[in-house]
Amino acid sequence: MKTVSITLALLLAAFGAGCSTTAERSRNLADPSVSGKTLALQVCSNCHGVDGNSVNPNFPKLSGQQKEYFVAQMKEFKGHDRLDPEGFEYMWGISRSLTEKQIDELASYFSQQKNNPDQAGDTLTQRESAGKFVFEQGVAARNIPPCSTCHGAEAAGNGTFPRLAGQHADYIVKQLNVFQRTDERPEGAIMKVIAHDLTSGNIENVAAYLSSHTTK
Amino acid sequence: MRLLFPPLRGLLLAALPVALLVASNAHAVPSFARQTGQNCVACHAGGQFPELTPYGRMFKLTGYTIGQRTLPLSVMAVVNANKVKVDDPADKTTTGALTFATASVFLAGKISDNIGAFTQVTFDTTPNIGTFSGRSHPDNMDIRYADRLIDDNSDLIYGLMLNNNPGVQDVFHSVPAWGPATVPGSTGAGAGAAPILDGGLGQQAAGIGAYAYWNRTLYAEITGYKTGDGVFSILTHGNGGQTYIKGTNPYVRLALTKEWGPHNVMLGLTHFDVRQYSDQTDLTSPTDHYRDNGIDAQYQYLLDPYTVTATVARIHENIDYAAGNSDTVNSLRAKASFTYQAKYGATLSYFSLTNTLGEESKGWTPEVFWTPLQNVRLGLQYTLFNKDQAGANPNARDNNTLFFYVWGAY
Repeated sequence: MKTVSITLALLLAAFGAGCSTTAERSRNLADPSVSGKTLALQVCSNCHGVDGNSVNPNFPKLSGQQKEYFVAQMKEFKGHDRLDPEGFEYMWGISRSLTEKQIDELASYFSQQKNNPDQAGDTLTQRESAGKFVFEQGVAARNIPPCSTCHGAEAAGNGTFPRLAGQHADYIVKQLNVFQRTDERPEGAIMKVIAHDLTSGNIENVAAYLSSHTTK
Repeated sequence: MRLLFPPLRGLLLAALPVALLVASNAHAVPSFARQTGQNCVACHAGGQFPELTPYGRMFKLTGYTIGQRTLPLSVMAVVNANKVKVDDPADKTTTGALTFATASVFLAGKISDNIGAFTQVTFDTTPNIGTFSGRSHPDNMDIRYADRLIDDNSDLIYGLMLNNNPGVQDVFHSVPAWGPATVPGSTGAGAGAAPILDGGLGQQAAGIGAYAYWNRTLYAEITGYKTGDGVFSILTHGNGGQTYIKGTNPYVRLALTKEWGPHNVMLGLTHFDVRQYSDQTDLTSPTDHYRDNGIDAQYQYLLDPYTVTATVARIHENIDYAAGNSDTVNSLRAKASFTYQAKYGATLSYFSLTNTLGEESKGWTPEVFWTPLQNVRLGLQYTLFNKDQAGANPNARDNNTLFFYVWGAY
């Protein structure tokens, strides 16, 4: 048995030494020499898509996302400050050993990808029209300001205000509920005030509009 | 429930200290989760181990190498109780008595940027059921080398692997190695004849294979299985006797996959060709020839807080015995599971195993389970046999079994 173990160990070591991947194709999240782009392709793409257009709405689209917002969120995950389940279940661990340089490279990579909206029809549905109104006009009766004030007229985001155009409707709904009902995203405290009086109908409508909206 | 299954009360009390122990360390998760730093739900649908999410499949296909190296050690234990409708007095496992079933140690994790392993050594009390006396032996083992060539336009994962159970390398749960009855000690499909692909060579053979997964669409694999002796006995030694097969026996697997929105599907084909010595004590004896052809499918819906996984697998086996006679075995298994908030779940399984000799086992297994912590699961199954020709009781329904388990991993 001892001989068998030694033989296997030697074989494995030889195999590992001879066939080791370069940093260009590594999935090691604790190796500072691996570039952000490599990690985006080898690891992040599994959930968020190669071009940042995730398939499953559990995972937000990162394509075209504001670089500053992306960096801020990664730091929130890494510092365990973002407490929503989607954050800690998936992202605390992924971000824990990333360097600032890697995070910056990841932000650059995804910000440069083209966003594909969920379903961009030629005309707005009734729900999307109602959502567009909230996005552009707010709800004056409840002192809810237009979303476009911070997120931009095209919902492309601005600095630390995220891009919302083309994001999964389900993800937007869930995050608005996180802001409205919890303190799990302290960095988005401003959204707690804004989302406080949104009805579930408002939330569904604005999410439907944004998920199908594409920037010019 | 109190009258039907009184041992449950005791078992719940017995499980409490385990639950408290685990709860005292909320970050205590098995080694893969430590490696990625992620919650179990990242890789297991609704936290329902071992069923994998698309990400969990990618983690396995890329050789368990995502993340960072940590202590690659985990443990798992199962406490269970079986209550057969008409129990066999000689069989301590059928009376509903609380039983320490198995405990496993896993050496599992990233070895290098390309190499990773999932290796399990299990201690079980068979045949000394009801005691803590037993034996340790290799359980499922899967060691991989994997690389991924990916850019904006194409994605190719390819690798080499060594494993000891045909099908254990698969990333879908329609294959027998990961299909229904994966909870240690659960009732299973009764006494029907199962194809050799359904555990016939589990921990008895060593397979070396190559695989590729292209554009997250097409999976192809070929593995050759040999008797797990000689240098490979590390994968099989201590399993209570060795099954001897002749030469290298091919296992071929193809699968088409597609993801859209919260849905993903797989359609797969499997072929396994095995020549097993008719006289296991004489390696010059003529061989029994098994040819298994399987078709299987899986559908999955993942959108928090819900998950649904449904699988169906049909295996048709032709056997030409060395003695000149032949047999055909047909296996049909289906399973649908649902979880909510990665805490509450229900499963319904169907099985039908038949052969031309008239042996058959058919039935249903509904199950409910609760995952109070991500690494502890409590479940209750009831297996209803419509047919169980070779079972302990001539009347199939007398073999109906209530099964309770507490499954924990750290």
